[in-house]
Amino acid sequence: MSTYLQFAVFGLSLGVLYAALANGLIMVYRATGIINFAMGAMAMWGGYVYAFLRKESVLYLPVGQVYFPDDPGFWLSLILALASSVLVSALVYFLAFRPVRQAPVLAQVVVSIAVMLTLQALALIRFGGDTVRVDRFLAADADAWKIGGVTIEPQTVWFTVIVVVLSALLWAYLRFTRQGMATRAAASNERAAILMGYSPSRLAAIAMILAGLIATVAVLLTAPTTGLNPVSYTLYVVPALAVMLVAKMSSIGVATGFGIALGAFQSILAYLVTQSWWPEWAASGVDQVVPLMIVMIALLAFGNKLPARGSLQTMRLPDVDIPRIRPVSATVVFVVAAALLALSQDEWRFGLTTSLIMTVLALSYVIVTGYLGQISLVQVAFAGTSGFVLSKFGQDVGIPFPIVVVVCALTAVVVGLVVALPALRIRGAQLAIVTLTAALAIERFVFNNYSLTPAEGNNIGAPQLFGLDFGIRQGPDVSRLAFSWMVLVVVAVMVLVFVRVASGDLGRAFLAVRANERAAASAGIDVRMTKMTGFALSAFFAGVAGCLIGYSHGQLSASSFTVFVGLQILAVAYLGGITSWGGAVVAGMLAPLGLVHTVIDHFWTTGNTYALVAGLLLILTAILNPSGIAGATKHQIAFVRAHRGRRQPGAVAETAAEIDANANRERTTSV
Amino acid sequence: MSEVLLQATGVTAGYGLVPAIQGIDLTLRAGEVVTLLGPNGAGKTTTLLALTGLLPISSGSVQALGIPVKAGRATKLSRAGTILVPDDRGVFPDLTVSEHFRLVDSRRRRERMARVLDAFPALAKLTGRRAGLLSGGEQQMLAIAKSLLAGPRILMVDEMSLGLAPIIVQEMLPGIAALAREEGFAVLLVEQHVAIALSVSDRALVLSQGRPVLEDSAAALLADPSRVETAYFGAVSA
Repeated sequence: MSTYLQFAVFGLSLGVLYAALANGLIMVYRATGIINFAMGAMAMWGGYVYAFLRKESVLYLPVGQVYFPDDPGFWLSLILALASSVLVSALVYFLAFRPVRQAPVLAQVVVSIAVMLTLQALALIRFGGDTVRVDRFLAADADAWKIGGVTIEPQTVWFTVIVVVLSALLWAYLRFTRQGMATRAAASNERAAILMGYSPSRLAAIAMILAGLIATVAVLLTAPTTGLNPVSYTLYVVPALAVMLVAKMSSIGVATGFGIALGAFQSILAYLVTQSWWPEWAASGVDQVVPLMIVMIALLAFGNKLPARGSLQTMRLPDVDIPRIRPVSATVVFVVAAALLALSQDEWRFGLTTSLIMTVLALSYVIVTGYLGQISLVQVAFAGTSGFVLSKFGQDVGIPFPIVVVVCALTAVVVGLVVALPALRIRGAQLAIVTLTAALAIERFVFNNYSLTPAEGNNIGAPQLFGLDFGIRQGPDVSRLAFSWMVLVVVAVMVLVFVRVASGDLGRAFLAVRANERAAASAGIDVRMTKMTGFALSAFFAGVAGCLIGYSHGQLSASSFTVFVGLQILAVAYLGGITSWGGAVVAGMLAPLGLVHTVIDHFWTTGNTYALVAGLLLILTAILNPSGIAGATKHQIAFVRAHRGRRQPGAVAETAAEIDANANRERTTSV
Repeated sequence: MSEVLLQATGVTAGYGLVPAIQGIDLTLRAGEVVTLLGPNGAGKTTTLLALTGLLPISSGSVQALGIPVKAGRATKLSRAGTILVPDDRGVFPDLTVSEHFRLVDSRRRRERMARVLDAFPALAKLTGRRAGLLSGGEQQMLAIAKSLLAGPRILMVDEMSLGLAPIIVQEMLPGIAALAREEGFAVLLVEQHVAIALSVSDRALVLSQGRPVLEDSAAALLADPSRVETAYFGAVSA
């Protein structure tokens, strides 16, 4: 028993971090209605500032740095760390969150993910990817206490007390002060708060800063135990999101208690998996599966009672133009793409081919988010599942090439149907949380599980059809034309499938569900069935992409399917235009390892520049054009046409749609 | 003549490139009750939004309590005493009734609390209840009460009758009008119930398709309702 207690005590340091991050998330959500996926990344910044002040006597600002002649000491470093946290929070609020405060939920999710990716890339560039040790500063020399066989470090007690007290202060601020009340008021009805003489943006900025401060303090307390790492600290937001859901996105008390308990429980689990009776295949990633289970249970228990902010307003997404097949232009595009592949070589051909593959993956987002209106962050895990099955079993069973891809993609469909279950109950940003948690759980439990995926990766043989070899490599040629053309054909088929679905009854049913579930149901559409079908279809697309990614690497490597890759692809899919296959093509070009990535890497050698540039561009696009690049271009073309006197019926409908901003209209300009 | 609190000249405003109201002229004096009438889509709500700085004005000018009205100044205008009760009633579902009152600046609140609760005795029993659980009529009372608590100099009420039985409006409007005359604040009402609104007003302005088509004293319009009816269909009269 005392062993379990001992591990529970070890877990407190992560527990207080979860509690503080969850409280920060609740604070930001109640003030702005945005789920701040960047909470961990924002808090991490202050931790790094402190660590580098103590280690190298350098004060890192987001841009530039200040050198101190010698160690500035604990207190000055602490104050500067907290000051930089205030700076980061204020910058994030005014540059990213405030501009999208009225935007659709999807734009808000994308912006907060973009902030997370940007801060993480910035931290990687500024502070490096290695774990940074941070010295203890709290009761560092005090002797440990022994109570009933359990050793308790005094610092553990101290930081638990500090975080609990800070959480209580946050709670009191929201509950009792006029400012705090007004913050809650502004969250539910911003206009009415303005009319009462409050400035919602000032209140929200204060809330963001308070959230950043409590999270930063927790990072400073936890970092000496765990060390600072840009990936793990960014992702600590996932368990914190689970805690936030359990606290019904509003209760600071529940979040504090539950966060600490979760940390303790994870630590006990970490002990259990080392036991001999624990199955080896299930040892990896259990700590991530736990948050997923918690989220699922929380949603089952009170899925309908979670406050859905702005639930009156339906999710406004960019307009959809129903696609149709134009044989001539399709052939032209196909031939041009084939010619480009033939003319390019090596890294360029590989980049172009990857872009084509990513187009299919982006199409899965177009289906599930653009058409069905569900924010899913798990699509890459579907792709990974399919690639995983291909590498593990597809080779041995001896199913011939094109069929094996379909079979593997169908396994992704099965996973997709399971993940779709919560989508029957929840929507919007909460679904984003669930799918993100699921993605991380699948990544840790399957892809990073060495008993399933050896460190050197599972090899994937070259695809062969009628004796022809479509492998990516052959001898010195590492990017064969045969492979690229095969990919092009697959992509063309998938785009055709998409266009058929999108222009058919199923596509209309998706759009109806997207616009208004109740209205769709009253029009005789089976909403549940439609959602399940949409998730299944999108998982199939992702699965096909996953197989192609596997073939293009010659093996399955977990790094192709991480949560961050998934978020980046959602980001570029959104950038490109989430409602059209043209947008998916743009997304493919912008995707990680795609053409644009190849260009950036060709000219700037540092590997993280792409992530930083992509993150910044994404924030900018989401703010300027909530409908994405492709959508914005379409609008501009329509605008120019209208003003050149060639006013067309479509252009008139455009203006009308803009006036009626609340009406979620799907136009069908070409039927 | 009493003091001019709000002066609007040639106000044009709208959404996107399309103007929803054009050339609105309006003067509100202390202690005066004015009603904006017009069919659905005439631009009544848009006028209120433009007058309170919630919607940018593309041409014309508005001065409220000596402050030039501009988009983005809504907070400042509200603090100065230009208070709008919007058509969604502007209550906060998660906050209790007493928390709504506490949101109002504390100095003005103490003086007026007893008096406002006198006017709305039903609210005094509901102080601990969350606004989201109140009935439509109670929410409307809360919206008016918290606005009166703030000590308005100009009070604008958008469609008080929306979703309510006319009887409730019939009971609440005369009280507001009486208070306005006694304390000397101006009231601008937007109403669909023409007769009820005119009976408590001094003047009325009829809008049709975003333009003013008729302005006269409430008494004169009550005496000849057909003028209002024809104005609803866009007929301009002197």
